[in-house]
Amino acid sequence: MAEKCPACGSCGMPLEKPEDFALGDATRPYCRYCTDARGQLLSYEQVLETNARFYIESQGVTAAAANELARAMLADMPAWRGRN
Amino acid sequence: MQAATRREQKVVTRDRLVNAAMALFARKGIVNTTTADVARSIRMSHGVVFLHFPRRDDLVIAVIDEFGRRLAAEFRQAFEHDLGLRAVLQAHLRVLAEIEPFYARLVTEAPMLPPKVRSTLMLLHAAVSYELFTALERERKAGRARKIPRPLLFNTWIGLVHHYLVNRDVFATGDSVIAEQGETLVNHFMSLVKP
Repeated sequence: MAEKCPACGSCGMPLEKPEDFALGDATRPYCRYCTDARGQLLSYEQVLETNARFYIESQGVTAAAANELARAMLADMPAWRGRN
Repeated sequence: MQAATRREQKVVTRDRLVNAAMALFARKGIVNTTTADVARSIRMSHGVVFLHFPRRDDLVIAVIDEFGRRLAAEFRQAFEHDLGLRAVLQAHLRVLAEIEPFYARLVTEAPMLPPKVRSTLMLLHAAVSYELFTALERERKAGRARKIPRPLLFNTWIGLVHHYLVNRDVFATGDSVIAEQGETLVNHFMSLVKP
């Protein structure tokens, strides 16, 4: 069993290749999907929406279910921990 | 040097816990297995489990993540060699066969699992959905498959596989329904996507 690769501190996506990181910079804590063109972390609402869309497009779940799934996924992430 | 050894030891202990949990989840069910059961099964103190996995859910997610890592490695190979939809389906089944008793429990108990655990599983489903759809689109461009919406493509495949897994006692004479029925399911699915 190999040691885990780093994961995005916002959404948990595995960061395997430099291009997975914000701005292609492997020292950044977040992935390219959770950051803007300057490498800044997007708002919680934007990240939540992106993640919810991921569940809808892949499996056709309802918007409400996708929102709950994404919310549960983000709840423990370092970037969003402690949010109500 | 000593720090490296400690780090290595930590990885070894964590792996032992994940493997023990996977075996127990398969045998007793995920909902019915406690962290104390896992510790006892490998003669480890209960405290060590909490050191690595502060909450029970963390341990369940670590087991699902292990499944995810195996899946990613198999898919990477199929993708890099451009092996087509059949190879992606076979890669998926190969990983499921490795962890079949655990995975069958996981899908049976999925609606009862905590939200974070369930969303982790569905995130892996999303990854499978992506691989299937990418492979289907390649086949379609080569005239070997028809257009199918991504969620339905995935749900048709996973519905078929999960039905056989959840009811594996009536679909297999031995221990593995994937080993006995896997190729039939792949052949059937390939016939469904034909143009």
